[in-house]
Amino acid sequence: MGLPAIEIPETALRPVSGRGLQRRLFDYLGWGLCTLAFLLLGSAMTWILVVVFLRGINALNFSVITHVTEGTGGGLLNAIEGTLVLALGGIMLAAPPGLAAGIYLAEFDRGRLAPTIRFLADVLVGVPSIVIGYFGYVTMVVALGWKFSVAAGSVALAIISLPYICRTTEMALRQVPRALREAAYALGASDGRVTLGICVPAALPGILTGVLLALAISVGETAPLLYTAGWSSYLWTGHFTNEPVGYLTYVIWAFITEPFESAHALAYAAAFFVTLFVLVISILTRMVLDENAGWRRLRPWEKRKP
Amino acid sequence: MGNLTESNVITGVPGSERFVQDFEKGVLQSTLKISVSQLNFYYGPRQVLFDVSLNIADRKITALIGPSGCGKSTFLRTLNRLHETIHGTRMEGEVLLDGQNILELDVVRVRRRVGMVFQKSNPFPKSIFENVAYGLKINKMGGRGLIQEIVEKSLHRAALWEEVKDHIHKSAYSLSGGQQQRLCIARALAVDPEVLLLDEPCSALDPIATAKIEDLLMDLASTCTIVIVTHNMQQAARVADHTGFFLLGKLIEFNKTDIIFKNPARKETEDYITGRFG
Repeated sequence: MGLPAIEIPETALRPVSGRGLQRRLFDYLGWGLCTLAFLLLGSAMTWILVVVFLRGINALNFSVITHVTEGTGGGLLNAIEGTLVLALGGIMLAAPPGLAAGIYLAEFDRGRLAPTIRFLADVLVGVPSIVIGYFGYVTMVVALGWKFSVAAGSVALAIISLPYICRTTEMALRQVPRALREAAYALGASDGRVTLGICVPAALPGILTGVLLALAISVGETAPLLYTAGWSSYLWTGHFTNEPVGYLTYVIWAFITEPFESAHALAYAAAFFVTLFVLVISILTRMVLDENAGWRRLRPWEKRKP
Repeated sequence: MGNLTESNVITGVPGSERFVQDFEKGVLQSTLKISVSQLNFYYGPRQVLFDVSLNIADRKITALIGPSGCGKSTFLRTLNRLHETIHGTRMEGEVLLDGQNILELDVVRVRRRVGMVFQKSNPFPKSIFENVAYGLKINKMGGRGLIQEIVEKSLHRAALWEEVKDHIHKSAYSLSGGQQQRLCIARALAVDPEVLLLDEPCSALDPIATAKIEDLLMDLASTCTIVIVTHNMQQAARVADHTGFFLLGKLIEFNKTDIIFKNPARKETEDYITGRFG
């Protein structure tokens, strides 16, 4: 458009030899190592999923989900019900304080309490889950006299989920831009309104991810339940204390070492269900975070991919 | 309230005897909307504003110019106490709104009376309607019908209504950058502020959107006092009645806009305006 065309010397387009070769070698090496790492991880995961799903599907039949466990045979209805009750109970107990603590850490703390809470949350993540089971046994099952029960199991799961919910909530809120808060403050909004009306909705995808992650962890836990929920071959009658309850991970843990084919089949089926639950929750989480799923329109400050 | 007359424009250099005389004379005039005296401001131990005194005339446009980091935005934030949302800030001095110290007024009320528009448009993750209605709802102003009416009126005032009237319940993020900025202006106007503070509202916009917003500001000045921070000196010259020049946290000169641009009293002002630094 009126400007003289710029001549590009041909030498500028040719790759530089020597250093160019070295760079390409490093490039190949990098890609090679990445592919190797991917194959290692990918094959391990595929192997687990294939084994669990093939054996699980072979062991599945309609009676597995319609009958309760009888000895080392029967179905898994009681365990599926128990797992759902315990996991939901754990989330219902952990979510309110976890969300509240996360909101407090991100929005309100100005003093020295925050580092302490963060440190405690990190310690809680690191406590072996069997120690939490043992703690639950000593305090709730024995001292409080709840016996093996939904209440004790849910509380144990809640203790495990709490730090995850707390820290992911804090992280999600910290990503909300300051400009949004200022806009609300400038209209005369109070701290509470800014937090609950503006920041929490904007951070909702991240917060939900934390809660779903905690749910997945709850579904997969075994050790804390062994000492708190016990085991039962019957359906839950709705009592929160003094009634042990079945759950899927117990079936895997206990039945795989039994010398009966029927017990093995139940263990495989239970492993199938646990994996399926966790997989479904993970996919749900991905969908929540997926930019195509519509949630992303709420977080426009994260650049859309073209 | 009448217009600012020649007699109560501050003509002296801040700190000079002339300035103090003019300033005191000015404070007594009812045509002043905001009066700032001896303002010092600190971020932690670092002082960023030094002894700033400034009068802002009612229903006029006051522009604040100066190089980056000279304290213009910080100064603007002290006018609606928004600095209080940042931890570790400290303010000394006095800001009077209609003769009342804003620190003695309820902070929510101050911010409702003194609205603000930011450099980057920052609509809430809500619909266009909900964005404009937000201030009304949190301040409990009006029922459902009235809110509808005020939202429409505010979008009209911000010259956005024609462009959004058919999809007012769509996400605010579906709008273009210039439209989002006008939405933020509509949101600020909805609560009917007496003063509107604008912090470089056009710096991220193209010339067409900028021109729209400048027209809008000149229309608004008939009902509302406007204080605008800008890097764009032509913009200040185009829209402002009064202009203040900030440098390194000090107000160097404050006067009628044409005097600042045509016949500045201080060499620093002249150097900045003629582009010798900054």
